[in-house]
Amino acid sequence: MKPIMLHGHERSITQIKYNREGDLIFSCAKDSQPNVWYSLNGERLGTFNGHNGAVWCIDVNWDTTRVLTGSADNTCKLWDTETGVSLNSIATDTAVRSCGFSYSGNTIMLTTDKTMGFPCEIRIYDVRDGSQLESGEPSQRVALPTSDAKITSAIWGGLEDFILTGHENGEVCQFDVKTGEKIASEKGHNKQINDIQPSKDGNWFITASKDFTAKLFDMQTLEPLKTYRTERPVNSASISPLFDHVVVGGGQEAMNVTMTSTKIGKFDARFFHMVFEEEFGSIKGHFGPINSLSFHPDGKSYSSGGEDGYVRVHYFDQMYLDFRFEY
Amino acid sequence: MPSEDMSKGKSWAEQVDEGDEGYVLTGVLPPNTEDYDEKKGLKKITEYKYNDEGKIVKTVKTYRIETIKVSKSIAHRKTWKKFGAAERDPPGPNPANTIISEEIFMQFVNTSEKQADEDDDPLGKLKNQKIVQCRICKGDHWTTKCPYKDTLAPLQEKLIEDQRKPEPPSTGAAAAASKTAGGKYVPPSLRDGGSKRQGESMSTQRKDEAATIRVTNLSEDTRESDLQELFRPFGPISRIYLAKDKVTGQSKGFAFINFHRREDAARAIQGVSGFGYDHLILNVEWAKPSGQQ
Repeated sequence: MKPIMLHGHERSITQIKYNREGDLIFSCAKDSQPNVWYSLNGERLGTFNGHNGAVWCIDVNWDTTRVLTGSADNTCKLWDTETGVSLNSIATDTAVRSCGFSYSGNTIMLTTDKTMGFPCEIRIYDVRDGSQLESGEPSQRVALPTSDAKITSAIWGGLEDFILTGHENGEVCQFDVKTGEKIASEKGHNKQINDIQPSKDGNWFITASKDFTAKLFDMQTLEPLKTYRTERPVNSASISPLFDHVVVGGGQEAMNVTMTSTKIGKFDARFFHMVFEEEFGSIKGHFGPINSLSFHPDGKSYSSGGEDGYVRVHYFDQMYLDFRFEY
Repeated sequence: MPSEDMSKGKSWAEQVDEGDEGYVLTGVLPPNTEDYDEKKGLKKITEYKYNDEGKIVKTVKTYRIETIKVSKSIAHRKTWKKFGAAERDPPGPNPANTIISEEIFMQFVNTSEKQADEDDDPLGKLKNQKIVQCRICKGDHWTTKCPYKDTLAPLQEKLIEDQRKPEPPSTGAAAAASKTAGGKYVPPSLRDGGSKRQGESMSTQRKDEAATIRVTNLSEDTRESDLQELFRPFGPISRIYLAKDKVTGQSKGFAFINFHRREDAARAIQGVSGFGYDHLILNVEWAKPSGQQ
């Protein structure tokens, strides 16, 4: 395969996401300009200009009409996908670490960092209610007690009835959307959870953690099902919608990268069989750790964004599509 | 000379010459051209610009245009206008942002029996060939892996020492024998009394390659008939192999020519090496025997 390198960011990529149909890739980085690209040929459709700090998270709604970005400039912005115009800007007390549309696209959630004396918060807004977005007063606000570890990654779970959060101490929790209470929690990892991605049907989710592992959990019960072990911190993991495969990306921590060569840095994306937890392949390419990975919704291509500032779009060779794991 | 081609188009060397003279003097950039071949679905864009040294640079980009059926919503999104930093980008990928990187392959790792089979095969061959011989028990394994290493080796050393003591003046063969047993390295040619099968494998190889010459730095338009014309005067030729590109059928720039007689080949090297042929200076030398044995 010949990967397409997307060079639209000046700094390291923080998150990439496909839209539901997979024709667009949304990428955000530690520079202030999120990008949107056509996945087929890597053509850049546009940039969303307006943030003043690193953009930590990006999400797109079901019908690709709205984009949501959360930034370290203490705002979460809602954009029109077609024109790149900022529709709303929600001010927060601290940096927005993760954000997401619910499946319907009617509600959004965002989580903030615990810094400068402010607690880590989960906020939920109803997009249909313009006053909520303008005033910045959410329909539901959950402030975590200061003793709790901060949220490092969050997604919508179940049938939009809870928010699934990954924490700095390796915990995964469910928070009820209506009451704001913690429903369940599980100490899945020993170190920070960097990324959470659901499976296509939403029955499972995969976590990527600094403790060198990625784990598969049951969405409802939070029961740990599978563990994928590597030798480096894992920054992102994604479940294939087509095969029983899992792709895991990471590598030496960014702060230590200058002290290691690319050879031993293990900056390749690694493919595991989802059930047997066994690694069967890897794809090289990035010059730094992979920060975000995502399978195309059809499972025939995947993209990765790295600390090197590039997004690489990979269309699988026939060899991968024909590959059957022997057991 | 590939004279037929001259009428159709100029060779690249002439194009470069003309291009330099024509445009540097006038100082005007030629217009950018776009060429679309509908049958093959290939679009060729030629651009001219000045580089940092003030020289004209010509860039030719070739795109493959594919038509793919997609759902209405995707097709609609494809018609969206570019915005933000990409607002002024022309249609199609901007090469500043979108780079096609080098071909890479997914590396499949271990797991299955396939790998085990591959490992086994060469080992199996080695066993049959019996290249490895233990110096202690003469079995087909490395000396260090010998199961009798601890028991036999000290025994042998003792024997050798015993041999030495009664007859100290004996040197030559006996000394050599004692050395091999003692564990010193002896090159294969000197083992078993040496001179038994010295370099026998080399001579057979040489015969086939003896009258073969390699011609390099050929131009792209060279044909086999051109080579025949060029080398016929030196003597009868048994075979001409011209390396060609599979797709385009153009020459890859080198050829092998087998002569019947070695003397002819030698004269051909003398005669053609350094000969100017279609703007290029030919390099002719003896073909090296291929690496495999």
